[in-house]
Amino acid sequence: MSTETAPTKTPKLPVTVVKPTPYTFDLGLLLANDPNPLSLPSDRSALESHLTATARDGTQVLINQLLTTCPIASTPAGVLLSLPPQQTPLPREKPVPAPKAETKWSAFAKRRGIKPKTREQRRNLQYDQETGEFGRKWGYKGANKSGEDDAIIEVKFNSKKELERKEGTSIRGDKRREIREKIKRNERRQRKNERNTDGRKK
Amino acid sequence: MLRQVKPRTARSKRALEKRAPKAVENPKKALFLRGTTCSQITQDAMQDLFALRQTHAKRFHKKNPLHPFEDASSLSFFSEKNDCSLLLFGSSNKKRPHAITFARTFDYKMLDMLEFILDGESFRSISQFKTKKVPVGTRPLMVFAGTAFESPVPNAFTMAKSMLLDFFRGDATDKIDVEGLQFVVVVTADEPTATENPEDPSSKPVLRLRVYTIRTKRSGQKLPRVELEEHGPRMDFRLGRVQEPDSDMLKEALRKAKTNEERTKKNISTDIMGDKLGRIHMGKLDLSELQTRKMKGLKRERDQRSPDEEETVFEEEPKPKRKAKA
Repeated sequence: MSTETAPTKTPKLPVTVVKPTPYTFDLGLLLANDPNPLSLPSDRSALESHLTATARDGTQVLINQLLTTCPIASTPAGVLLSLPPQQTPLPREKPVPAPKAETKWSAFAKRRGIKPKTREQRRNLQYDQETGEFGRKWGYKGANKSGEDDAIIEVKFNSKKELERKEGTSIRGDKRREIREKIKRNERRQRKNERNTDGRKK
Repeated sequence: MLRQVKPRTARSKRALEKRAPKAVENPKKALFLRGTTCSQITQDAMQDLFALRQTHAKRFHKKNPLHPFEDASSLSFFSEKNDCSLLLFGSSNKKRPHAITFARTFDYKMLDMLEFILDGESFRSISQFKTKKVPVGTRPLMVFAGTAFESPVPNAFTMAKSMLLDFFRGDATDKIDVEGLQFVVVVTADEPTATENPEDPSSKPVLRLRVYTIRTKRSGQKLPRVELEEHGPRMDFRLGRVQEPDSDMLKEALRKAKTNEERTKKNISTDIMGDKLGRIHMGKLDLSELQTRKMKGLKRERDQRSPDEEETVFEEEPKPKRKAKA
């Protein structure tokens, strides 16, 4: 490309570099290796100019390689080069994190093919058909607390719940107690999972 | 050792999460330290390296009475306390003038150390060059020239290369602005001479670190013509003491985290028409069972009983007797 003689008045500046041993690159690190032996002069000023010449050649080749092999995308932020992953092995600063231990639930979900809830499913908002407004699913004024504070609550006598009711409790606060019980049960499960993973480590 | 505590507040939890091991790591932070004696030249050199490493660097100004190659425990402590895995320790004494020790840690334990002994005469700091300076946080291009870096067996020069790569790599992103290709770090190594004496450091090959800004000119072709202008600093090093990494620790440090990237499946290719081609392994064919041409002469005769038929008849007879006994 550069060897062609241009018909224009100004001679084209050479952009290629020819060396006996080819350069090697690691574009992920923006690195070029020049394996050619250097014969450096002992004179100080000659040495600096020699070093600059080697540096220029190396940089030219590296920039040529970057511009020709990397995909270029022009975005509003600027002209971006996508670099390949780096190849030179460099030591990490911290060990590779261990994979998360499998809990009983995650094992079950995997077996059944249950996917984790999506962002939309995890949102604490839902549409209320009656009022036509969005309300919370849980928390303050959450839908799971509806009917808790009503002035009158229907009690079914002779139902199993009423017959097995603990002394000193009533239907008021039943939901709250149920939630507390669920939380405790879940914490128990968490502790069990932790115990199991600790046991496996040893 | 620092206390391992469970975070009590969300803020401390975030802080601990930031420094926890990750699959894709944070950029390494560099910590600049000085010993009890540290020449002005070494301090200037450290200041320049700090300037090039900015945003991922920390600098301490107090004197530290420590000797990395004798006891590295203080450096490990500094590494853990500040979450820095690259340490640069500047010191100067009669035997080793203007020494900068590069040290790397893995999991806050010392991985490897290498002493760069700066040549005081040829050193020029950034401020001595009157060129326009590159903005903070710009990623440099890197060129390593010389046969010494190409050694297939790890030695001091390959270690120096690895350390300088680690130092100048900065924030390794997968995309880079073309405008950001502004400066280049060039490290050249002299040819190893035959008269090298391991005891005498002045006979060892010199490592020359130069930093240039890049100017591109229109060349009339698609690719630009590159011209360089020295940016500074200018440093000539000889390599001093080396502490090589422990092989087990290095192996652990070079492990790669599993990524979600799909592995290329073997023996599957697509041809020009877009058809999927697969090469499969058939296993060995059993040619003894091969059906060849049927001939009358090879047929078994009717009245001749096969040996396994006789056996079955013989076996069936004693069975009822056993049952009768039981």
